[in-house]
Amino acid sequence: MKLNILKFLLPVAVIFVLTACNLSKVIEIELPEYEPQPVVEFYLEPGKPFRMLLTRSYAFFDNLGLDSTFLQNTLIDGALVMVTYNGKTDTLKNQLTADFNPIKIFNYVGQQIVPATPGTEFLLNIRLAEGTEITATTKMLSVVPIDSVVIEFSADIDTLARAITYISDDLTQKNYYRRLLNYNSLDSFPDQDFVLTDQLSQTKTIAFGTGYELAVGDTVFNTIFHVSEEYYDFIESVQLAVAGNLNPFAQPSPIKSNVQGSANPIGIFAPLVFFRDTTIVTR
Amino acid sequence: MKYSFLAYFLLLFPIISAAQNATVTGTLRDSQNGETLIGATVQAPGLGKGNASNEYGFYSLTLPEGKDSILLRFAYIGYQTLNLNVLPKGSVNLNIELIPVGAMLEEVVIEANGLDEKRRSTEMSVSTISTRDVKALPALFGETDIIKILQLKPGITPGAEGTTGLFVRGGNNDQNLIVLDEAVVYNANHLFGFFSTFNSDAVKDLKVYKGGFPAQYGGRLSSVIDVRMKEGNSKKLSGTGGIGSISSRLTLEGPIQKNKSSFIISGRRTYADVITEAINQSNKDNPDFNKIPRYYFYDLNTKVNFTLSPKDRLYLSGYFGRDVFTFKDPTFDFRFDWGNATGSARWNHTFGPKLFSNTTFTYSDYRYEIANQLQGFSFTLGSNVKDANTKVDFYWQPNNTHTVRFGGNITYHDFITARLKAGSDDGQVRFESGQDFQGWEYGAYVADEWAFKRMKLNYGLRLSMWQNSPAFYANLEPRIAANYEVNKRLSIKASYARMNQYVHLLASSGLSLPTDIWYPSTTGVKPEISDQIAIGTSYLLGNQILVTWEAWYKLLQNSVDLKDGAQLFGNDDLEQELTIGRGYAYSPIELEIEKKEGRLTGWIGYTLAWVKRGDFPEIDNGTWFSPRFDTRHNISVVALWDALKWKKKGKGKSLQLTATWVYSSGYQTWLPGGRFSFQDVPGAPFQPVVPYYGPRNTFRYPAYTRADLGIVYKWKRINRFENDLTLSLFNATNRRNPYFITIAVETAETPVGEVPIGIKAKQVSLFPILPSLTWNFKF
Repeated sequence: MKLNILKFLLPVAVIFVLTACNLSKVIEIELPEYEPQPVVEFYLEPGKPFRMLLTRSYAFFDNLGLDSTFLQNTLIDGALVMVTYNGKTDTLKNQLTADFNPIKIFNYVGQQIVPATPGTEFLLNIRLAEGTEITATTKMLSVVPIDSVVIEFSADIDTLARAITYISDDLTQKNYYRRLLNYNSLDSFPDQDFVLTDQLSQTKTIAFGTGYELAVGDTVFNTIFHVSEEYYDFIESVQLAVAGNLNPFAQPSPIKSNVQGSANPIGIFAPLVFFRDTTIVTR
Repeated sequence: MKYSFLAYFLLLFPIISAAQNATVTGTLRDSQNGETLIGATVQAPGLGKGNASNEYGFYSLTLPEGKDSILLRFAYIGYQTLNLNVLPKGSVNLNIELIPVGAMLEEVVIEANGLDEKRRSTEMSVSTISTRDVKALPALFGETDIIKILQLKPGITPGAEGTTGLFVRGGNNDQNLIVLDEAVVYNANHLFGFFSTFNSDAVKDLKVYKGGFPAQYGGRLSSVIDVRMKEGNSKKLSGTGGIGSISSRLTLEGPIQKNKSSFIISGRRTYADVITEAINQSNKDNPDFNKIPRYYFYDLNTKVNFTLSPKDRLYLSGYFGRDVFTFKDPTFDFRFDWGNATGSARWNHTFGPKLFSNTTFTYSDYRYEIANQLQGFSFTLGSNVKDANTKVDFYWQPNNTHTVRFGGNITYHDFITARLKAGSDDGQVRFESGQDFQGWEYGAYVADEWAFKRMKLNYGLRLSMWQNSPAFYANLEPRIAANYEVNKRLSIKASYARMNQYVHLLASSGLSLPTDIWYPSTTGVKPEISDQIAIGTSYLLGNQILVTWEAWYKLLQNSVDLKDGAQLFGNDDLEQELTIGRGYAYSPIELEIEKKEGRLTGWIGYTLAWVKRGDFPEIDNGTWFSPRFDTRHNISVVALWDALKWKKKGKGKSLQLTATWVYSSGYQTWLPGGRFSFQDVPGAPFQPVVPYYGPRNTFRYPAYTRADLGIVYKWKRINRFENDLTLSLFNATNRRNPYFITIAVETAETPVGEVPIGIKAKQVSLFPILPSLTWNFKF
């Protein structure tokens, strides 16, 4: 269960004070030596082709200009990418494609469609052009549907409403979830974004709420991702790494990847199963 | 090995003979308010014998019986020395009251024997801070703080700027045993560590042991910080108080029965919330106004003491403090409060001129709770640690060459770690987490201070045990300290101490946060162990300056740290977030030059030290790294100067100028070496820069330097009413010291989302120059 309040209040208080006093200045520092690493983002979305984004990381102060070479510099081409599952292997083509609404790009695309059967095991093998390798495994998960989204108006301010989203959890196994809440557009910055486990839940029902911040006509995109433990660890570590650079109270975290191999990669290979509900606030 | 040591140890105890001796015994007190004087000396100069009062003011001096009177000299820093002739026959009870310097009608010469006593003592690695100094020195927002003065002593590295964190000789912040009237204070902080819980008006003094720990102390690895509350004026009703920019204080003390019993009650509260509430109220009809959260903290100290008989004295004391942060609006009711409560009941009994006992019952409670109420749903998160402790200590002085201490204690610990409850009011949704633990901690010790010729030896043994079923640990902790007096000016000292720590603070950052969790030793988390060896010299330069040099090495075993990315909240198994390793720290130079008498007083401290942690399997694959507080050089200069003194018939007014200057090598910090772009899943935003953190703490902040200035002007006393104005200039040179460094990224929109176009490191500072004015009064 993520404690947004704690994580929010302390840095906000500090940043408020520091900004008010204008106590920051740009300085020159030397960071530790860093060798760029390949970065894998491979989400197995049932019903869609196997697709992967393979990029490279940079030393923190490497100059990255806003020009036509950005993609060329960032994307890693020329890799041999294979996914094996149910005794079959799909070799992905090095081809730039994109999804729109929301925008997502991929530079490797397979011929086959990701099966939805829970428990299906997948093996990823990547050989980079220079000969180093990346491997990972994962397993397909089932969709956990949203049971209901209830809109409730405040008893004190009757123009404001909140949305409470209910799901049914399988208490017989340890489950991990990611909750995303977007208002009005999936491209908007999410109002809520956190991962949680069900190990603390004492009831079959899990509820996700909002503040009293919605008005009639607002669109609420509720997304519940059923995620793997590796994905949960990876997302947590990404969020802690980002917070660690901005918040003096936060302890940074190394990135917890589930890809490994001689290429010394960063990244995640995981199923992408989710249930999304779109609700327009009405009285 | 342990058994052979024990046999050797027992043999060392001498057979103590009962010769034809007289014993002078009694209590040393302040003549103005009846407060007992700790560490005051009583000497028979003609015989070369002497002793010091214990922590209850009790002293005992054995003299050869005779028909001629013997000159005794009673002395204490800041007090007029008293010479008395005493006939040494049988048992002589002599309760002495010394006159403070400020109360004397005329200037007198004060003998600086306090520093010499320190030089000749077996105690090393010890500092004492008096509230007299604390009140005069400049302070952040004018809030005088005894813990922050402690940070100016060599061997002690402060936490983040402006906070009360203490890292003693390479130890962690949780390795300090902080006791207030012998009750443990688990979190001695207000406002996220910017102020300590100790109200200077209620505190008598503070003594810190950085090494060479006496056998009566145990339970923490790196320091013992013994804070004593005032006992209350047993002569007359009096009061002190002050109004500052952050808080106001008021203390009342006086006799319940003159010279026999007294009380003190002291309170402090911040008042920023009074102003913010007024602003909120005046804007309640303004729809564009964002309500300001409410925050305040307060402390309440009370103490009473009774002289039950010439041989019995009873002390009852208590502390209660809370920080409260609330935010409430029609749809949201948030409250975050934390604080300590402690209570002590102590009974001093004098069995005879040579045996003194103290029996203590203490209770400690530290808790925090975060609660939020929304219509139909509620959320609470909290932790709590409670101790109930019984302790008995004996102080036996069979003759002038031996002072024996022995005793024991039993402590019951009760822990609630990160108890989370969240859910709907109808029970349809419910989340719970947290663990409860109970533990028993036992200690028994015996120690003897043996003075022979030029040598003083303090050797002792402590047996500590911990039980948290099914875990059980028993450990022997040998302690030894020696002082060899080379001549009348130079002493050579050495000490060794082993300590065990059975409770561990799980802190997710290097800062002291109220949400840090105390966790007990279990079968998986063994007791932490430290071994510290120190050598040093003390040299008395002239009569007023003591130069102390020490070198030390500390080894830490079973050190507890958090794994990378550990989650402390909403976690039913905190132990899986922990990793166990080792550590060490050493210093070839820890130097202090102190001057306690004269118009100019103060000290200069310098420490050169190295600190390392490692062998944690889940941190950088066990590689060794520097913890955040591994600062190489630390220098502090503290000066108090009585610039002008008008002393006329006791109605003195004075002007005191004070200054502190500190220099410290920068803290170690963990900065990312690389970065990558993260597209994420549909609905989540593209993150152009995710920092990639490699090995821990490879970057050192720029050095930290700060100069603070203070002026204390005391008016001429009008009847019984004294008052002064204290002006503090914190960071007088307005230097921008680093608080933290963030790597800021400038981004721009592209067809594939935001991408970075420029990256800059920004140093963020916390405090510019901060003047403050405090009015203090006394009657």
